[in-house]
Amino acid sequence: MKEILILLRPRFLSFKNRRITGKSKGRKVIFLFFGTIGIAFWGGTFFIFYRILNYFKGIESFGDILAFKLLSTSLITLFSLLIFSGILASLTKLYLAKDLSLVHSMPVSREKLFLARWFESTIDSSWMVFIYSLPLFLSYGIVYKAGVFYYAMAGINILPFCLIASSLSVLTVMMAALFLPAGRIRSVFVFLGLLLFLLLIISFRLIRPEKFVNPEAFSSLLLYFKNLESPKSPLLPTTWFFDALQTSLSGSMKSALFHSSLSWSFAITMIFVIAWISGAIYFKGLSKSQAAPVRFFSFPRSKRPRYLWHLNFLSGSKRAFIVKEIKIFFRDQTQWSQIFLIVALIAIYLYNFSVLPLERSSIKLEYLQNILSFLNMGLVAFVLSAVSARFVFPAVSLEGEAFWIVRSSPVSIRTFLWTKFFVYFFPLLFLSELLIVVTNILLHVTPIMMVVSVLTILFMVPGIISMGIGMGAIYPDFKSENPTQSFTSLGGLIYMTLCMGFIAAVIVLEAGPVYNIFMTGIRRGSLTLFQWIWIVGSFSMVFALCIGALVIPMRLGEKKILQGDLELHVSGHGTDSNK
Amino acid sequence: MIELKNLTKHFGSVVAVNRLNLFVSKGEIFGFIGPNGAGKTTTLRMMGGVLSPTEGSVIIDGINIAEEPEEAKKRIGFIPDRPFLYEKLTGMEFLRFTADLYGIEDGLFYKKSEEVLKKFSLDDWAEELIESYSHGMKQRLILSAAILHEPKVIVIDEPMVGLDPAGIRLVKTLFREVAKKGTTIFMSTHSLGMAEDVCNRIGIIHKGSLIATGTIEELKCLAQVQERDLEKIFMILTEEETIP
Repeated sequence: MKEILILLRPRFLSFKNRRITGKSKGRKVIFLFFGTIGIAFWGGTFFIFYRILNYFKGIESFGDILAFKLLSTSLITLFSLLIFSGILASLTKLYLAKDLSLVHSMPVSREKLFLARWFESTIDSSWMVFIYSLPLFLSYGIVYKAGVFYYAMAGINILPFCLIASSLSVLTVMMAALFLPAGRIRSVFVFLGLLLFLLLIISFRLIRPEKFVNPEAFSSLLLYFKNLESPKSPLLPTTWFFDALQTSLSGSMKSALFHSSLSWSFAITMIFVIAWISGAIYFKGLSKSQAAPVRFFSFPRSKRPRYLWHLNFLSGSKRAFIVKEIKIFFRDQTQWSQIFLIVALIAIYLYNFSVLPLERSSIKLEYLQNILSFLNMGLVAFVLSAVSARFVFPAVSLEGEAFWIVRSSPVSIRTFLWTKFFVYFFPLLFLSELLIVVTNILLHVTPIMMVVSVLTILFMVPGIISMGIGMGAIYPDFKSENPTQSFTSLGGLIYMTLCMGFIAAVIVLEAGPVYNIFMTGIRRGSLTLFQWIWIVGSFSMVFALCIGALVIPMRLGEKKILQGDLELHVSGHGTDSNK
Repeated sequence: MIELKNLTKHFGSVVAVNRLNLFVSKGEIFGFIGPNGAGKTTTLRMMGGVLSPTEGSVIIDGINIAEEPEEAKKRIGFIPDRPFLYEKLTGMEFLRFTADLYGIEDGLFYKKSEEVLKKFSLDDWAEELIESYSHGMKQRLILSAAILHEPKVIVIDEPMVGLDPAGIRLVKTLFREVAKKGTTIFMSTHSLGMAEDVCNRIGIIHKGSLIATGTIEELKCLAQVQERDLEKIFMILTEEETIP
């Protein structure tokens, strides 16, 4: 046990020493921002569950059935989440962590090393699920006026629940590592997880839950309810947890303790089982993960397709950066798996517009369609900002520790940044225009509204991309193991705030003139001189804003890199005097 | 060919490189030695254009790297101490990327790339992703890329790290060959044997300052030792500096 605690100590000390790094100010801002969002989300979850349960409680005869159906479904969802995050966490901790060769060279038994790593991965994969499951249990306790025994049971049962999920995850990973290199397993699981998530979203969306607010569809709700049978096998850990909670709510102490004992005994047994199995297969899998990854598709040199190098109309350096960027992007499975997610979300976005019940609104249809179209410009720009935060903002950081190649090459930083800009500009412009044109067609907007929204997006996209590249250059993270996550940094936060400000400014500036143009069209009148001045002034300001958003961030990013503030691994020296 | 004028670099309150003045002529192999944290890597990174100096200038082939960075860098082949590369490119693709950056034409590229890959025994690995290369193979690939455009100056930090004996021998031969053709080589190393073996002149840096430069014979006089033992010379000179 002592050795396991020693192995866990570096993690604890690293966490403790974070304040020493001198970036505490930025971290505090991020902590405050995400902390506020987290608390709001926690409160929101509690509020929603509390309202739903209160509503169910009010339904005679099958209110309780609905409430417990919700509980059992929630527990299955939590368990699935725990298993999925457990797979990723244990894979990272046990097979991919950089310090593995160091710890494996130490005189500690592999079993203890495995247990220490597994314990770490359990904490990593469970803490968030644990925190966000609390509003669920709390709302049941309050609505059903439960006593202390219920809360104690919830607390006692959540621990084995997490341990069981984590041990099942680690078993899956150890088995998979025997057949696949660890790097590939992560890609496969991330891909499968995303696929599952997409299927859930799409199927949920296609059910069209909004029709349930319509009383006419109530008969189909009963049918839906009948079909919504969640699995409830006595062999499932979710059933033990569910039974423990249900019986403790009804005050049946003996039964609750029996189900808790089932959970705990199984969790403890699983710890012994995984420790025993790890002795047999963990090190074999780990050795395999150290081997060089083999390419899925490899061509002999003479037959190798070289189509990307034939971008001959570009100068050598631009072609070099563009080809490199595209190849690296598509060879990184974590990147293209996220593209599937975006495509699916876009499909849902467009589907939502196609099923909007506009005719049921009390507002005049033509008026409503065009208001929605105008607001949709902001929404599309917001979607673009979110996509850019994930793909464009980390673009400079993605160079990683190989950034020395760019710095030592005979190419200006300006060329480097603008090449990055254009690599992302064209696909994202296409995406944004596609969204705006298709939604406008679905909304049957007026031609003038179509022109205004297409042009506005055309001018906004370069600004949003430029801010992504520029801010990414000002706040790079070349040392991160996963630079694509850099949008959660202080720089990412500032980028999203700037994008929001930019979008809001454009929408506010255009709102008045567009309203005037639209209303004049409806009334078949003509614009007054004042309205003309207003329109020209507003659109000129929008144009100037878009040019500013395009030019300024790129200049600042370039300046920041050239100042030499972006140090890589300078031996023995971490920071620069120029800061 | 290489001129460092008052080259200075501060990291916060730490002076990593302090008013370095040095001239290295065409075809010369210059060895840069010093204890850990002396400022070798920082100097080389400023010479490669990877780091900007706090003060002073780096002049390569008469071009100030701060004023005309692209022109100066065209003349340099920079090789860092740690071979960080684009892991998702193949070796051949990386060479092609480098060739495009340095403006090497297609026809010449195919000829040159086959040549360097063969020279560094990487021809069988050319179509494999760099992520599957060993440390030594990555080092060989960087060396291949650095000489692809036939630079006038090679700036290399720890050239032998990660190389096997055959690789070390290859690099030594290569340095002598290219220096004979007029390429200037500026290398930092911890291997005093390597410095003694290949370099025409050696500079010793300690606590950011250049404390001695010259041939082995000149350094021997400076350290007042009889034998031609660079290790002894190095120890005497750096120890003297540490005595208050």
